[in-house]
Amino acid sequence: MTVGEQLEESPEGLILKEELQPAPGGRRFSLWNFWICSLFLKLLLVPDYYSTDFDVHRNWLAITNALPLREWYYEKTSQWTLDYPPFFAYFEWVLSQFVPAAVRADGCLDIVPQGVFGALTVLFQRCTVIASEVLLFVVLQVYINTSPPAEKTQSFVVASSIVLSPMLLIVDHIHFQYNGFLFAILIASIVAARKRKFLLCAFFYSTALCFKHIFLYLAPCYFMFLLRTYVLQFEGFRFKSYKDLFRIIHWGRLFKLGGVVLGVAVVCFAPFARDMPQLLSRLFPFSRGLTHAYWAPNFWALYSLCDKVLTVALLKVPLFHRLILKVLSPKIFPASLDIIRQRLKKNANHGTKGLVEDVYFVVLPQITPATTFLLTLLYQVLAVLPLLFDASFKRFLGSLTLCGFASFLFGWHVHEKAIMLVIIPFSFLVVYDRRLLTSFKLVTTAGYVSLFPLLYKNDDYLIKTLYTYVWCVIYFFSLAKVIRLSSSVERRVFFLDRLGITYMCSLILLVSAVHLMNVMNWKYSVLEKYQFLTLMCYSFYCSFGILGSWLGLSWLFNFDEPLWQSLE
Amino acid sequence: MSSEKKEPQGEDASSKTKSLSKLQRNKDEAAPEVEECFYASPIYDFLYPFRSPGSQWVTEYIIVVFLLIIKSAIGLGSYSGFQTPPMFGDFEAQRHWMEITQHLPVSQWYWFDLQYWGLDYPPFTAYHSYLLGKIGTFIYPPWFELDASRGMETDGIKSYMRFTVLLSECIFYIPAIVYFTKWVGRRKKQSPIGQFVAAAAILFQPTLMLIDHGHFQYNCVMLGLTVYAINNLLDGFYAMAAVCFVLSICFKQMALYYAPIFFAVLLSKSLFFPRLFNIPRFLSVAFATLASLFVMFAPLYIFGGVGNVLQSIHRIFPFARGIFEDKVANFWCVTNVFFKYKTMFTQSELQFYSLVATVVGFFPAFMIMIFYPKKFLIPYGLAACSMAFFLFSFQVHEKTILVPLLPATLLFTSTNWNNLSMVFWVNNVALFTLWPLLKKDGLWLQYCVCLVMYNWLLGNFSFITPRFLPKILTPGPSISNIAENYRRRSLLPHNIIWKIIILVSYLCMLMIHVLEYTIAAPSQYPDLWVQLNCTVGFGCFVLFWMWTYYKLITLRNKTIQEL
Repeated sequence: MTVGEQLEESPEGLILKEELQPAPGGRRFSLWNFWICSLFLKLLLVPDYYSTDFDVHRNWLAITNALPLREWYYEKTSQWTLDYPPFFAYFEWVLSQFVPAAVRADGCLDIVPQGVFGALTVLFQRCTVIASEVLLFVVLQVYINTSPPAEKTQSFVVASSIVLSPMLLIVDHIHFQYNGFLFAILIASIVAARKRKFLLCAFFYSTALCFKHIFLYLAPCYFMFLLRTYVLQFEGFRFKSYKDLFRIIHWGRLFKLGGVVLGVAVVCFAPFARDMPQLLSRLFPFSRGLTHAYWAPNFWALYSLCDKVLTVALLKVPLFHRLILKVLSPKIFPASLDIIRQRLKKNANHGTKGLVEDVYFVVLPQITPATTFLLTLLYQVLAVLPLLFDASFKRFLGSLTLCGFASFLFGWHVHEKAIMLVIIPFSFLVVYDRRLLTSFKLVTTAGYVSLFPLLYKNDDYLIKTLYTYVWCVIYFFSLAKVIRLSSSVERRVFFLDRLGITYMCSLILLVSAVHLMNVMNWKYSVLEKYQFLTLMCYSFYCSFGILGSWLGLSWLFNFDEPLWQSLE
Repeated sequence: MSSEKKEPQGEDASSKTKSLSKLQRNKDEAAPEVEECFYASPIYDFLYPFRSPGSQWVTEYIIVVFLLIIKSAIGLGSYSGFQTPPMFGDFEAQRHWMEITQHLPVSQWYWFDLQYWGLDYPPFTAYHSYLLGKIGTFIYPPWFELDASRGMETDGIKSYMRFTVLLSECIFYIPAIVYFTKWVGRRKKQSPIGQFVAAAAILFQPTLMLIDHGHFQYNCVMLGLTVYAINNLLDGFYAMAAVCFVLSICFKQMALYYAPIFFAVLLSKSLFFPRLFNIPRFLSVAFATLASLFVMFAPLYIFGGVGNVLQSIHRIFPFARGIFEDKVANFWCVTNVFFKYKTMFTQSELQFYSLVATVVGFFPAFMIMIFYPKKFLIPYGLAACSMAFFLFSFQVHEKTILVPLLPATLLFTSTNWNNLSMVFWVNNVALFTLWPLLKKDGLWLQYCVCLVMYNWLLGNFSFITPRFLPKILTPGPSISNIAENYRRRSLLPHNIIWKIIILVSYLCMLMIHVLEYTIAAPSQYPDLWVQLNCTVGFGCFVLFWMWTYYKLITLRNKTIQEL
């Protein structure tokens, strides 16, 4: 039976239905053309702006190329010290082996405080990003090829949406990072989980973790998923004594799994065994502030918005302050307006001009790393618990997404780029039900828009906005066509859908208004004085969307049973 | 919702199934002509998922937005005259014009400091510069400060100037092309996706993209206005066509290359067809032409008198400059290797000879258009006429190839495989002849990417779809249903002689590129590679010119279906 016939028989009319002609080889669902086409765009972007991350990676190339392995994590000539796990360092070492003589002469491999290099180095490094990203295309092609015939169209839409994602274009090919390659490994583990090859899944995940430790945020979900599906076996379990609990555990599998994970870790870290404390201090720099360079659009952005609004409200309406004091004890709330004014003065000296700094709240309680850690953990546990009872692939994806959400929303020192940890697992999940689409749309639009300030140059304005816009048009349209309505009852909250659409459209207004403000800010001294205001607009507004998306998904994840009934 | 999807709607769906069945039949018979000529191209593959009637709006979005993205990405590169003081290049010229139109009275525009990029385009360019300069000054005055801003190369001015080209293109060029392809497509009963592919093929033309957004000029305005004029002719609005064409000429005098054909069509439509002596139409066309010319030049006259108008005309037609300046792929430059015209003849003799040669070149096309003013012949007539100008007239720049290239590219609306192959070929040749210019501008990366992208998008490289890759990579079409034919197609005519000519010309181009890259030109002939480039280009252009004449003559009694 060809794919075409399968599609025609499926209950909900998928796209392309009426024109299906049985071609000799069937549809290919190939990403080949997408790769070539995006390649052209990426090559045209070579002369574009790049961030300091470019010099970071250039410095790592130099360090790994010139120094013996033991010194990699001690080298600190440049401020951009090596702070990724060893696999990534090995990766940089491999890349440095391919540096041609002309690029070397250009200053690509010099260990200097501030990189001095020309167009050749840029070309070379951009090409390494493009070349390493091939892995993403291969992994997703495997994902398409291994999906069952009836789901091929959906898988194709998902896969192409990921490879063409504006996020990768903005962050990898303009801003400069290697996320395409790193996420390829993570996606490989998701593909393995789908095929229920758990050892492979564990292998890929631990490899990804050893490339970039940000994936640690997803660890609870992987741990629970593998534990429940691979290690524990409840079949035929009857509790007679506590000894029986021992039998739930499939010991052979546990050792196999442990072997795989520990094996990867050993390969990764063994050469640095004697320098572990130094390595770990580089990987986990706890001295950094609550927010990264500027406000990531997460819960803390809203928290600080509340703080600002409250400060103004309290200072303008003293009665309000007295009212609140009757309810709240002065321990968590400033006892008098003078205290507020004092704190404001103190803050003015520090400022929030978008620098990596600690943030002090005026009215609301201060946030410590422990608070964020506990909150993250709490929401991750809530996301992971259902996996213990139902470890289907769908649940796994949902829990993975929610883990990403929890860490993004409540984490300490979150990067706005970390939204990828949410969007990528969510892309795989969204095709299972139409009701997830609104939530998905919200998080993608808000997440992508929140990346815009990364590229602050005027040249990039049209590229980033138009590309994101057309991506949204294409994929929201295609997803709406491809996704089935799996549950018989169509329970959708239409009001929220409309609200979501309004929100997304208003993002266009936000982006244009902010750009206009940036262009004209020389004219109005108010705008010049408050340059961080535009960044704050972005993070506040985007955080609404992301928080809304999280609430929507959490609701569906926890309280909607037809959605999670597995098809298998 | 689902019921909509299940039931194919009316006419569109039935025509689609028809076209598909025809396509299928053609595939089976391996017949030379197919309904969707580009069906084995990646661009068809990309648009394929959006071909149902309900989703065609997405197709338009995709084409136009991706076009803008690619153009902005090209704009990231350098431009003509980047960091080459004291004169800089075309970018500085355009910026300078915005600067002087801002700060000087109209009477000074054509007189101010002529040595430093004095204004030498017709008044519509000046008004266009004035408007864009006003907007720019509102945004950031130092960009266009008189004298102080000379040679300004900040990021801000660059992105603003790039943006103005995009804006002009969005207003003048893109809607005109889309309208044209839809008009022709509807008359030819082409499927919607076929129309969109044709529009994309015209819009993604690399030559215009690189000159306008890389090198930096506003050719899109002139060309777009010409297409507006053509569209008006197609719809039978003859006075409006005249107005649009006059505007086009008043933007850049190069549009005069088209003038004989517009004149022929308008004249014959008002004097001979469809009835003799349609005096009201004749009067309206004449009035519209004169009135729009008058309006265009009126400000010059009002603020500066007759002298100002004469000065502007003197600036627009610089006959004092030589028969050619840089190397260009036309008759005079190429044969100059054998006959040194500049020493053999005086300037005025040369002017006379080139005039005679040009008139002889375009006159047959002019006569054909007088006697057969058919709508579908207009692109052929324009191509033949403007190519004659390009090949034989006085003071031609290499960038002027854009003028004959536009009507040639409009023939992408044809569904005849042979025509498409010829048009495609001349596009490649034209881009190739611009290589010396683009190399000088530092646009080698953009040149290579655009050349390969255009060929690949339209399926010219489908034949190299690799087979040696592992099966999981499955190169080929992503979702369209044409796996088998995909590999073999590349745009070559069926005629064996043309096939050989085209392949040999491609080989020559490749050889010249390789030679230029590997071997430095000998010191006594520093321009050897450029001269070879021009010679190959000239040969191809002459052949293409012949071909347009051949088509003009054979198609004169046919209908639009044969376009």
